[in-house]
Order: sequence, then C-alpha cells, then structure tokens
Amino acid sequence: MHKTALEPIAQVSPTALRRWASALFGTTSIHAASIRIATLVLIVVAAAIVPHFTEFGNVQSLMYSVAAVGIGAIGMALVTLSGNLFMLSMGATAAVSTVMFAALIHLGLGTTLLLVVLSGLLMGIVQGGIIALGKANPIITTIATSSIIIGAGVIYTGGLTVIGKGDATWLGQGKLFGWLPTQILVLAIFAAIASFILQKSRIGREIRLLGMRAEVARIAGLRTMAATLVCYAFAGAAAALAGSLIASSSAQGNLTYGIDLDFNAIAAVLVGGISIRGGRGHISDAVTGAIFLAVIGNILLVSGVSYEYQLVAKGIVVLAAVVFGALLARLGPGRK
Amino acid sequence: MHQSQRLLNLAIRIVLLVGMPVIFGLSVNHYFSQANLYAIFQAFAFLGIIALGLSVTMVAGEFDLSVAAISTVAGLITVKFGGDSALLGILYAVVFGVVVGVANAALLPRLGVSSLVTTVGSMMFLTGVGYWLAGGRVLSYGNLDVSDFLDHNVAGIFSPRSFITIACFVVISLFLRFTTLGRDIYASGGHRKAAIQSGARVGKALTVGFVISGGLSALGGGLLSLSLATASATMGSNILLQAASAAIVGGIALGGGIGSPLGVAMGVLILTILNNGLGLLSATSTQILLVNGLLLLIVVLLDGRLGAVLASPLDRFARRKASAPV
Repeated sequence: MHKTALEPIAQVSPTALRRWASALFGTTSIHAASIRIATLVLIVVAAAIVPHFTEFGNVQSLMYSVAAVGIGAIGMALVTLSGNLFMLSMGATAAVSTVMFAALIHLGLGTTLLLVVLSGLLMGIVQGGIIALGKANPIITTIATSSIIIGAGVIYTGGLTVIGKGDATWLGQGKLFGWLPTQILVLAIFAAIASFILQKSRIGREIRLLGMRAEVARIAGLRTMAATLVCYAFAGAAAALAGSLIASSSAQGNLTYGIDLDFNAIAAVLVGGISIRGGRGHISDAVTGAIFLAVIGNILLVSGVSYEYQLVAKGIVVLAAVVFGALLARLGPGRK
Repeated sequence: MHQSQRLLNLAIRIVLLVGMPVIFGLSVNHYFSQANLYAIFQAFAFLGIIALGLSVTMVAGEFDLSVAAISTVAGLITVKFGGDSALLGILYAVVFGVVVGVANAALLPRLGVSSLVTTVGSMMFLTGVGYWLAGGRVLSYGNLDVSDFLDHNVAGIFSPRSFITIACFVVISLFLRFTTLGRDIYASGGHRKAAIQSGARVGKALTVGFVISGGLSALGGGLLSLSLATASATMGSNILLQAASAAIVGGIALGGGIGSPLGVAMGVLILTILNNGLGLLSATSTQILLVNGLLLLIVVLLDGRLGAVLASPLDRFARRKASAPV
C-alpha cells in the first residue's frame, strides 16, 4: 500500500517571487547567478544614467547585437560543456556562411537558411569526427580547420563582397508586433531547442557527463563519440545560423563579417559562468553572458568610446570573469 | 607517446627536410641560390623565436594562445617607444612580454584553470590593446639604420636577426637540458601529479615557461617590426597557426613532457622551407594558408590516435627484435 497519500503535501506554497527567483538562480552556479544580477543592475543603471540608452533605436540595436552572438555562444557552450574547451573555427564558419547566404538568397529565405545551416552542421560533424575518432586536440584541430574554411572561402570569393539577389528582410530587419526583431525570436527558439536537448534528452545528459569526467563516461558505456559529434554539429550549425543573421541584415556576404564570432562567443561563455572544465552550466548562462557583453558594448558605444577602447574593455571583462569564476570554483562547495 | 611514435615522427621530419628542398630545387630555378637560402633563414628568424617560446609552454603541458597577440603588441611598443633608441624599444617590449607571461602563469596553479582559458583571455585583451596602440594605422619606424643592421647579410645566408633566433635556441636548449628548473618543466608536462608529489617546483616551472614564451614572442615581434620598419595591429595574425604546426611537426607532444628545441628548430625549418617553396611556385597567400591549415590538421591527427596506429607496426617490430634470441 502506498503511504504517499498520508504524507503531508507541501504546506507552504512558494510565493511567486520565490518561484521566479529560484527559476532564475536556483540551479545555476554562484558565478552564473552573479552575472544575471550584474546584467540586471547594469541595465537599470545604464537606463538611469546613460543618455539615449533607453531610446527605441538603441534598444533595437542592442537586441540585434545580442542575436547573432547569443546563437554563437549557445553553440560554443555545448562544446565547452562537453569538455572540449572552445571551438576556434566558429568565426570562420560564420564568415563563410555570410557569403553562402548572400550567394544563395535568390532561392528564397527558407531554402537558403536550410542549406547554410546544413553546411555548417556538416563542417561541425567533420571537426567533431576528427576530434572524437582521431583523439585529436580540439583546440589545435579547430585552429587548423578554421584556416582551411577561410582559405576555401577566399578562393571562392576572391576576397570580394557577395551581394545577394533576393529578399532577406524578414530575417534581417523584420519585427514582430512592431518592436521585437525576428532575430531575437530565432535566438529564443534556438536556445529552447539547445536547452531541451541538453537538459531533457539522453544525449544531453551524456554530453554533460562526458564533460565532467570523460574517462568515467567512457567506462560507464555512454555514447561519448556521439555526444562529441552532436556538440560540434550543433556548434557548426549555430555558427552558420549566426552568419546567416549577420548577412541577412544587409543581404551581403563578406569573409570579414562574423569573423570575430569566436571571440565573442568564448567571451559570452566565460562571462556567463559556464564551467571551463565541462559539464556544469546552462544554455541560459551563455545567453546571459552575451547579453551582458552586448550591454557593456552598447553603453561604451552610446557614450562615444572608440572601437579600440571597446575591445580593450571587452578583454578586461573576460579576464575578470575568468579570475572571478576560477576563484568561485575554488571556494565553492564540492568543487575540485 | 611511445618510443616508436617518436621515431616515426623523427623519420618523417628528416624525410621532409631532405625531400622538400630536392623537389623545390628541381622545380624552381636558382632555388639553392644564396639569396633564397637567406630568405629562408629570415623567415626562420621570426617563426623560430615564436615557435620556440610556444614549445616551452607545450613541454610544460600547457599552451600559450597569446603568443601572436604578444608579438603584435610588442612590435607596436618597439616602434612607438623605440624612436630614439631601438635597444630601449626592444627592452620595453621584452619587459612587456615577461609581464604578460607572469600574468598568464600567475592564474594557473593557484586557480587550477587550463592555460588555454587564461591565455585566450589575455589574447583577447592584448588584441584590443594592439588596436588601441595602433589607432587604426600602420606605424612606421624612422631609424632605417637599425633595420639595415638587423638584416644585413652575414656569411651569405645569415643575418644578425637570424643569429639572435639561433642563439635563443641554443640558450633555451641548454636551459631545459642542464638546469633543475628545465627538468622541472619537463616533469610538469609529463605527469603533473607525480611531478608535484616528487617535489618538482611545478609553480615556478610554469611561471618560467610562460615568461620564456612571453619574452621570446615579444623579442620576435619587436625585432620583426624593426626589420620591417613598420608595425600594425594585424601583423602577427597568422603566426600562431604556423608556430603550433612547427612545434608539433618538431616533435613536441600536445600532451606535454616530450620534445626538444632541436626538434622545434627542424619543425620551423620544415615550415619555412614549405612556405618559401610554395611562394616560389607562385602560390597565393591564401593557398599557403590553406596548405598550412591542412598540414596542422595532419600533424594534430598524428599527435592523436592516428600516430599511435601508424606507429604500431614499428612497435611490434621492436618487440619482436627485443625478444629474438641473439
């Protein structure tokens, strides 16, 4: 006979605020939670003291700068979570994808997106295969493939800008309800898919366990190769999608567009508080990191700080996040 | 890495070092001219010094992703602050490189983070600093006498700049081989835990490793900018790829603990000979980039499982030979 019926059900139902707080911070690390608070504080403070920050146009441009980097950061987060640190070919994949997008856009937006994302997926699978099957160092492998991808792109374009002959305005400039860019919708859907795979599916659990203890995962009979392949495939597709978003806003492709996606995505992952040692972290952490960096970049931009100083500032933020995250990981309970 | 894998690696290196010049010599006129050999050693001077520094961190079981950014910023510092005295400019640059090296290493043992993470952070930061120093321009250096001196032809194929690189190779080689700290660097890369437990000064070894790599990258970048009499924020963009290739081709294992500066020198020569030959065959810079990428891919595969698979027949042969009656 079941005794559960006799047990008291939860007597105090949590208040809406507590539920909201635990949804935001409950399962994340201290680092990720701090960045969420910091992002909120930053936005509030900026809205209060930075002139023009809350203007419609600026909020729009802020959202556009989050979209592509956020998608890239989600892909990078999967690679980091699987214990493979970073994928240094995402910038190259995104750059080549802007060119492909512009070259194919006459086929229609849907077909183009499908083809570009599939080709990114394929590039990711090849790299994941080399790393999983060949036991090759992930960083060096992706540095090598990055130059191969860019080299192939330069041979195809001759270093020129490819101007698309088609309509990409739905993705590039479209807005829902007159204010929400479709790019943000794409980011939200992509984040939801990635989060579902990572948290709810079998392969997602395998990815996280692989990241925590690769050797244990292998001995336990988890599908470590499939997990690695899925991560790189997803990251390749993410880079291609990010490239598509970048290309769609001007319907142009050039190998200098999106080339800094590596840096931005790594920065978002590091700032967002995803553990570099793999296994620990959420997709939402990466997106938070991307938002945080975009807000900082936007504040500097609105305040008229030059591009060079913005780069330096971004570097300082990333370094600070690395130090902060490592200190927390050392102090935190149950972490080695 | 097994003994046989190392032997295979050495064999490949020797075949490439002998084979490539023969092939290029047959297909290009005047390949073995003094001018071309000089050009090869000039390329060796820059790539060699960067690859040497990187390889020291690799031997210690780490990886310095910031070498290219350090050399770029060092070049800018040299040109910007060495206007009156080139020596002073180089000194500033090297001090800067050493400081970055100390910072890179400072986070490692205390925080227990992979050096790939800390150096990716400093790489981003320094890239920003580079753009800031250059201010979107190409800086030029007025004192052309220094450039002429650094690159003037010595003994037909060398120059003071390539001598400096060769001297660095000799010094680092002696340091790694004959000092306790040098051996601690090998121990840190071989088996970190065992090294700590047997009393190797791992923290100090890592610091010295990153100081060497930061200092050498800065020296290389400074000397290059003096020799070109210009510096820009994008100068060293491609050098990390080549330096990593050269080090791994030269027998430095990515896992750490294995390899020697002599091997790295061979790896650097292989890469410079390859790129020089491709250039003479009128390959574009893109095609050279593509070939370098493919080479690095092959090399990283050989460092992984593929190398062990290829070396396994050699292993079996060695075992059979060992067990055979004399």
